[in-house]
Amino acid sequence: MNTLLQSFRKNRSLWTTLVALLFLFVLAVLGLIDQDAEGGARYKNVVFTILRGFSTGSIIFGLMNVLNMAHGAIFMIGAYVGWTVIVRPDTAVDTFTPIVLLASGFLLAPIWHKSINKLKLSSRVSRLWPWLSLAFTLVVLGFFVPQYPITSWNLGSYETTPVNYAFAASQGQVVVPEPKLFQGISPLLGLAGIILGSILAGLTVTGFATSRRANLAGAAMQTESSWKPLIYFGLLVFLGLLVFSFNTPISEFLYSLDSTWLFIIAILAAVITGAGLGALIESSVIRPIYEWHMYVLMLTMGVNVIIVEGVRSIWGAPEFTMHRPSVFAGTGEGCPAESLSALIEFKCSTISVLGGRIRTYNEIFITILGFIVLVAVWMLLQRTRLGMIVRAGVQDSEMVKALGINVQKIFTIVFALGVGLAALGGVIGAPSTGLTTALGESLLINMLVALAIGGLTSYPGSAVGALMVGLLQQFVIKYGQIGINIPFMEEPFKPSPPLVPAMTVLLMVVVLLIMPNGLFGRSK
Amino acid sequence: MENTKENSFVRAIKSNQGLIITILCLIALPFVIALINGQSFSSLLANEPGQAKFYQGLIIEIFILAIYALSYDLLFGITGLLSFGHAMFFGVGAYLTGILLKSFGWTLLPILGVVAVAGVVMALIFSIVLPRVKGITFALVTLGIAQVFHIVIQSREMAKFAGAEIGLQGVTPPDFLNPISQRLRFYYFGLVAVFVVYLFYKRFVDSPTGHVCIAIRENEDRATMLGYNTFYYKLVALIISAITAALAGVMHGIFSPIIRPGITGSGFTIAALLMILMGGIGTLNGALIGAATFKLLSFLLEKWFGGASQVIVGLVYILLVLFLPYGIVGTWRLRRLQIKQGWTDLIGRFTGKGRAESS
Amino acid sequence: MDNNNLLKVDQIHTFIGQFHILQGVSVNVPKGTIVALLGRNGAGKSTTLKSILGLTPPSQGAVIFDGEEIQGRHSFDIAGMGIGFVPEHRAIFRDLSVLENLRIAERQKGDLEKKEDFIFSLFPDLKRLIKLPGTNLSGGQQQMLAVARALVPDNKLLLIDEPSEGLAPVLIEQMMEAIRQLSAETTVLLVEQNFIVASQLAKDYVIIEEGQSVKSGQLADLVNDPETIHRYLEVA
Repeated sequence: MNTLLQSFRKNRSLWTTLVALLFLFVLAVLGLIDQDAEGGARYKNVVFTILRGFSTGSIIFGLMNVLNMAHGAIFMIGAYVGWTVIVRPDTAVDTFTPIVLLASGFLLAPIWHKSINKLKLSSRVSRLWPWLSLAFTLVVLGFFVPQYPITSWNLGSYETTPVNYAFAASQGQVVVPEPKLFQGISPLLGLAGIILGSILAGLTVTGFATSRRANLAGAAMQTESSWKPLIYFGLLVFLGLLVFSFNTPISEFLYSLDSTWLFIIAILAAVITGAGLGALIESSVIRPIYEWHMYVLMLTMGVNVIIVEGVRSIWGAPEFTMHRPSVFAGTGEGCPAESLSALIEFKCSTISVLGGRIRTYNEIFITILGFIVLVAVWMLLQRTRLGMIVRAGVQDSEMVKALGINVQKIFTIVFALGVGLAALGGVIGAPSTGLTTALGESLLINMLVALAIGGLTSYPGSAVGALMVGLLQQFVIKYGQIGINIPFMEEPFKPSPPLVPAMTVLLMVVVLLIMPNGLFGRSK
Repeated sequence: MENTKENSFVRAIKSNQGLIITILCLIALPFVIALINGQSFSSLLANEPGQAKFYQGLIIEIFILAIYALSYDLLFGITGLLSFGHAMFFGVGAYLTGILLKSFGWTLLPILGVVAVAGVVMALIFSIVLPRVKGITFALVTLGIAQVFHIVIQSREMAKFAGAEIGLQGVTPPDFLNPISQRLRFYYFGLVAVFVVYLFYKRFVDSPTGHVCIAIRENEDRATMLGYNTFYYKLVALIISAITAALAGVMHGIFSPIIRPGITGSGFTIAALLMILMGGIGTLNGALIGAATFKLLSFLLEKWFGGASQVIVGLVYILLVLFLPYGIVGTWRLRRLQIKQGWTDLIGRFTGKGRAESS
Repeated sequence: MDNNNLLKVDQIHTFIGQFHILQGVSVNVPKGTIVALLGRNGAGKSTTLKSILGLTPPSQGAVIFDGEEIQGRHSFDIAGMGIGFVPEHRAIFRDLSVLENLRIAERQKGDLEKKEDFIFSLFPDLKRLIKLPGTNLSGGQQQMLAVARALVPDNKLLLIDEPSEGLAPVLIEQMMEAIRQLSAETTVLLVEQNFIVASQLAKDYVIIEEGQSVKSGQLADLVNDPETIHRYLEVA
């Protein structure tokens, strides 16, 4: 009893806030019940709104990664990549080979490291040659990459815009476009050029990394077994070439697939793209300045701008919609499903519960998936060695290094993982959010609000924050439909859609006023 | 007495050589451009279309951006408050001007008053969380508030006034400052505005209040311990900054044919950050130089690369933060001696009278 | 060169930012001994330890550990060769439990199980506290945990920074006993402000003054040399 009192005293503001929020929540629920007090379906609205809130919360949850302002943009990238895989599998297959080939060269970096250190170059030479190598890389890649044939849309001419393909796909009248071929140069030369460019790029990066360390005495590197990178390099190149040589059959096979399978492939593609981008962002932009949070914030804002503008110049400005996978799209006979077996049999898009309809994809699938991700990440943080190192490294990365752990590598992995999850959120959420270039921005606010509410440094806090934002939004939307009876006003007040984000920001401001560190955040 | 006064006047001119030369150049610039293009002065004064008029427009945009960058520099560079909602100040100024001119037919003076009041109100909204929230959380809160405005201004409910996502079109600017028929006048008006704002800011930074603001940036706890109510000083900086940005917004609202919702988004705040990063954070002339560099750079990139130019601007921004965090003016100040030394060595080497030989 | 030295630090210079902190430090640590780094506050003792580990990499000079030059390598590589580090100010991981604090130091699975008995015989208190989060430990317990953490993997060399700092006399005794016992198995380079503690534990010493190693020798001699003590170690 005493300890309870004590903990109450210690966390007075936390409890006050929680009680106040609970009170508001109950009020909101009561309001919904009263509005719908006809017949049996009294609780329908409440249940649906909460479910919807949960699902919105879980979409937002995929975004959690402290201090990354580009997270919303990555979410958007995930959606666009997934959409492309579904609507234009041939383009996805075409882009696979060059990307894999370009990435392969970087795997050779450890070998370069070793041989450069053996050479014992003078400091002036070791400072100079990476620039030469960079120039050479740019020339080679600048010549070969634009030659690579990718069958894609052309934003310039109306017949081949992405919108048209999307429309054709939604009508089920996809015309598989003629695959493009190398023109002017032989395919072998083109592929070899790209591989060469990527090897050079890897060399350049290694060069800059070693010249940075060359200021230090010695700079002898670790002695790792040297055949591993070569094997990985060979495997990646082989994979790239394999896809290249079977390009057309693979594209045709993908076109013939059911939308559910395509959706799964799209998820994979989006997550891998996201994780790759995350690793790239972390190692190039964030790693040099981990300690200076302000600069990380500023830099990731810059990355955000680049990604948004990049998406705009690749996919164009118009909005797209993405269709739900076929397992969740049935509307015909037997739908909305009355039972679980009917749901599985007819692949219904909705099920009927409590006399109303719940959408299987938006409200159930996303919620369950969000919950799985939440628990998985929680387990990863709390139960695995990786999570342990992350928790320790956040507090004192220097000491973790002194224990013999490559903490930078771990941070890169975790960052890539977080960004990959954002991309997953993007592709999963795309059927309900649609695709616009402003997608990232609106999600960014939700993410920031959720983070600030939950406390910047707390994982469970961010989950609770996301949930609260989701619930609040759904309540506001619901009230926007049915209106609130405010005393002394004749017509019920209906909050309009712009008020949705306004309410969430208001919630954030109120929470921060009471608890500057958020609900679960710790003061430093 | 007379003598010392004159002396101080001469000294003031000498210490501000660069500024005065820049202003004189900018005063002469429209005429120089006209000369180069063989345009007669009378047609220039009559604001006939031509190269001179085009470049005037470009420089007017630089003026507007310079005022905006100055206001952000005061907030972030001088006082150390990282706000990601600064574009809202500018946007409110621009949209208020546009709406009041177009839908309500107001004249400019009352609009200026209303915008100033709006600036204060916005600063107060931002400052609600100011006493309790610091650093990153303040940045997030300001971003959240600004994003709400960004969404509201694009909403269908506001479309009648603000033109939704297309932007506000068809504003009739006041006759005496018409950007088309009176562009030269607008040009000089902009020049004067930048000059006045710059002098005012310089005065503010040199004042005791400004010194406290710098102290807050360096170490807020220490400033508190010295007995200053830091909230008050931060609020003052915020209010001045908000009003200035809103006034820059007014100029934009009059000058630009379409007021796009993009100027209220986070991208435009990033632009401000980019400008002061280019020039050098915390240096007032850096903000001016940064604004000019930013505008010219994005103008040229747009010309060369078209749609992808924004991607390159973003890349430049990232490279700047990583490799040149002090910006042009900051790096110049840090390296001034080294650079001068390098040049003298180089010249000395060619003339055979270098330091290297003597030492 | 004598081959008895497990660690040989040869005239290292280290910059932190613009500051030239170490301006020529040499330390020899023979195998199986305890060497004490002595010197006043801010002389550069802790920086020497961090430079050995590559946390503040030296810009000149050489660090030879176990016959290999290790300067300029990544910290985690250096530590992985068998160097344990006990930093000053009891830098344990506060968000991790005692068990996790020990587990994280494992280089191979099962390291902890192998060393468990030894660790808990040195610090019996830790066994009792194994589930508690690091924040809840007292200062002395945190210090013990920090030492215990360095013992988990098979380290050839331990770098221990100020083990007696801020501890009660009883705990200092216990800590000294523990260091004495563990030095039977490993070599120790010890930074110690408390001269009495150092003189009872270590065999050799190196005195660092303003970033330079100025004097080294056997502690037994130093104890009888009040002039040197007065000159380099006493606080004026």
